[in-house]
Amino acid sequence: MQYALFLGCKIPYFVPHYEMAARRVLAELDVKLVEPEFNCCGYPMRHLYFDSYLLANARNMAIAEAQGLDILTPCKCCFGSFMRVRHLLREFPALKEKVDAGLAKEGLSYTGKHAVKHLLTVLHADVGLEALAAKVRRPYEGLKVAPMYGCHAIRPSKMTKFDDPAAPSLIDELLRVTGADTVDWDGKLSCCGSPVRGWNEKLSLDMAGKLLRQARRGGADILCISCPYSQMQVEWASEVSNQADMAEFVGGSMLYPQILGLSMGFAPEELGLSYNMPDVSFILSFLKREPQRAAG
Amino acid sequence: MFFTVSLYTALVICGLGLAYKLWRWLTVNIGPESGQYGPGARLTAVLKGSLAAIFSRDILTLLKVFILDGLFQLRVRKNSTLAWLAHLAIFWGFILLVLMHALDDYTRDWLPGYEPTLDPYQFLRNLFGALVLAGAAIAAWRRFKIPLRRLTARPLDHVAVGLTALIILSGFGFEGLKIISYQDYDRMIQDYAPSQEPEDLLALRTLWAREYGVVFPADRELGGPEVLEKGRELDAMSCLECHSNTKSAFLSYGLGKLMAPAAVKLVDAGAVDWLWYIHFLATFAGLAMLPFSKFLHLFTTPLMLMAGAVSDRRAMHPAARAFMRALELDACMHCATCSLHCSVAVALHEVPNLTLLPSEKLKALACLSGGVRDEGMLRAMREGAYLCTSCYRCTKLCPAGIDLQDLWFAMKDDLAAKGLGETYSDVRDGAHAAAEPSRRQTQVSLQPQAQIGAGLSSEAKSFQNCFTCMTCTNACPVVMNYAKPKEVLDLLPHQIMHALAVGLREEAMGAGMVWNCLTCYRCQEACPQGVLVTEVLGELRNLASHSGFARKDRTCNTPCS
Repeated sequence: MQYALFLGCKIPYFVPHYEMAARRVLAELDVKLVEPEFNCCGYPMRHLYFDSYLLANARNMAIAEAQGLDILTPCKCCFGSFMRVRHLLREFPALKEKVDAGLAKEGLSYTGKHAVKHLLTVLHADVGLEALAAKVRRPYEGLKVAPMYGCHAIRPSKMTKFDDPAAPSLIDELLRVTGADTVDWDGKLSCCGSPVRGWNEKLSLDMAGKLLRQARRGGADILCISCPYSQMQVEWASEVSNQADMAEFVGGSMLYPQILGLSMGFAPEELGLSYNMPDVSFILSFLKREPQRAAG
Repeated sequence: MFFTVSLYTALVICGLGLAYKLWRWLTVNIGPESGQYGPGARLTAVLKGSLAAIFSRDILTLLKVFILDGLFQLRVRKNSTLAWLAHLAIFWGFILLVLMHALDDYTRDWLPGYEPTLDPYQFLRNLFGALVLAGAAIAAWRRFKIPLRRLTARPLDHVAVGLTALIILSGFGFEGLKIISYQDYDRMIQDYAPSQEPEDLLALRTLWAREYGVVFPADRELGGPEVLEKGRELDAMSCLECHSNTKSAFLSYGLGKLMAPAAVKLVDAGAVDWLWYIHFLATFAGLAMLPFSKFLHLFTTPLMLMAGAVSDRRAMHPAARAFMRALELDACMHCATCSLHCSVAVALHEVPNLTLLPSEKLKALACLSGGVRDEGMLRAMREGAYLCTSCYRCTKLCPAGIDLQDLWFAMKDDLAAKGLGETYSDVRDGAHAAAEPSRRQTQVSLQPQAQIGAGLSSEAKSFQNCFTCMTCTNACPVVMNYAKPKEVLDLLPHQIMHALAVGLREEAMGAGMVWNCLTCYRCQEACPQGVLVTEVLGELRNLASHSGFARKDRTCNTPCS
């Protein structure tokens, strides 16, 4: 299994723990990563610079295509952008023509024959739940996790085709492989507030705070995230919130490959756990004491 | 006398320039908090930090970085092997020339049997000069070959390259002409000849003409091959001790051969002296220019890399950080590595704003810190900063170890302090203001159906299917977040669809709802009519961004380098 890794712009500086954990886990699962030099997926340009959004995005797919690779991205907003642009270029020849002209200047071309997948889809469908289960050595016991599905992976479902938009289950299934229990909670399909950060910080923080409260009320010990933007929101909220607010929030958040990685027996340092804000080391107490070799 | 005066003038200019630069590093403020730290505080923090690093185990890291990245410049190799080879050739060629040739009055004690006209020194001088020329040629070719590199070069960079070439070429020209100069030969004969016997002089002259390349005026008699042996004997007796065969000065010798046809004329016209003047004056000009040109990175780059290796910018004392940020403005040598790899450079296809490139952002920041206040430039910088995704790549790749990411964060804060918000907010406010007239009316006259959709998302016309059932509005988390949503949002999602259906484009575009949309796609997913509500809002933002009313001038009108 081999993919072109598309980290996106936020992970390298702001969420290095996501990268560390994803690399560690993928290496263990024999998923090979090739790393061409990509550019921004276009997502931040979508509001004001639509042409750049299209070209930037398609350019990445053309680069992967030139190497004959599918793209794997751990970022849901990058993933959503890819799927939306694929849809637009498929449906509207005028847009495709414009993009083609831009790409041709660099000798690139885009046909769409190679797929773009989110990290979780690769784990769920390509690696498979059974293969994951075989690698779990220290399953969690009694850990309750609130899975966050994130807007841009599940919607618009017509374009992203990530999971059932009304009743998604993919992340729940991935979590249960690790021995964790998942809770059904109000914020499962909600927005983290990241997109308006920068021009309406109050609204942005309100959204993040709401999620963190809903996760706690839903009975979760921890939030499971699989997008750098959502993780940044949670870390920002915990940085600026007072004690009283924090008491109402869920205990913390982790990136899915961190949760998976711990259950595979990797040390917290290998998964960048020290970068998580707030501190999430309490999760270690849920891991089964004796390392056990899973069947198979 | 002239030599001494010009040397000291250059040294004084260089010294004053360095002092001026140091003063700027101690006083220029980048980032709002930098203003709290004056020269004293910065100097103290930097000295403290440096001493703490030197007198700890960090000294090993410092030495390692100095050797690997300073002397061998391995960091350049990460980006391109060719650039690295060129860089090494220029650096080592020049440094060795300075030590062995320019400063030979001071270094000859360490160089066994040193005479500038003796091998290996005569040969090495040519070799080092050739290295610099070869490196400079590769560098110039690379800059010319890649359009972006041409774009980011500054006029002073060209002067610096030109001056380097002039120093080396005039040196070779001078040596080459001296080799073939009969006047220089005569002077040496006067001082060192073993005898003044005409026969001896003929033999020696013949040897130097035939084998060492001296060109004599036509009236000077030269002997045949039969006198060469005697010439060699005399040469060995009185010349070879301090003058090797001129052929070992391979480049100068070749250059002399090229000049040979015009040798006597050139020598009679005093060209040897002229080349000598050009050579040392160009060298002194380079010395004087050092603090003001990319020559300065000879010092700043190793310092930056060593500092970066033992300190973390985010954990650094704020006074030291203020110093480093100011220093970084001078540490950039415009190599364009950052811009060539910039994650958002692709936007240049659509957005004619060079400040979205890191190297040009840095240049604009230098202008800003130099006191330039050009409204267009400030807006251009703001847009460049808005487009930057803080992906960290420029910082990771910068061969000079500049923490560009830190500068961008500081710059955003500085611009915000000057009252410049996000470009997004500018466009939003423009659109909001343009909707004001119709917003105040209790009755609006209907216009022909709004023509939107062309060229952008192409699906936005689906608003025509809206029957205002309000499902979108009820699904919207932004609406839900406010007790009185209309006060913040002006129009709710279903009202925007309706407004568009009756042609109230401006009013729809200026609605707070459009600009506070989270793009969570809840509305679109829920719409029973298949209206692409989220896409319509997105299209309105893009339309506003391309409308004249919202797009203020974002071009820099102040030239600065």
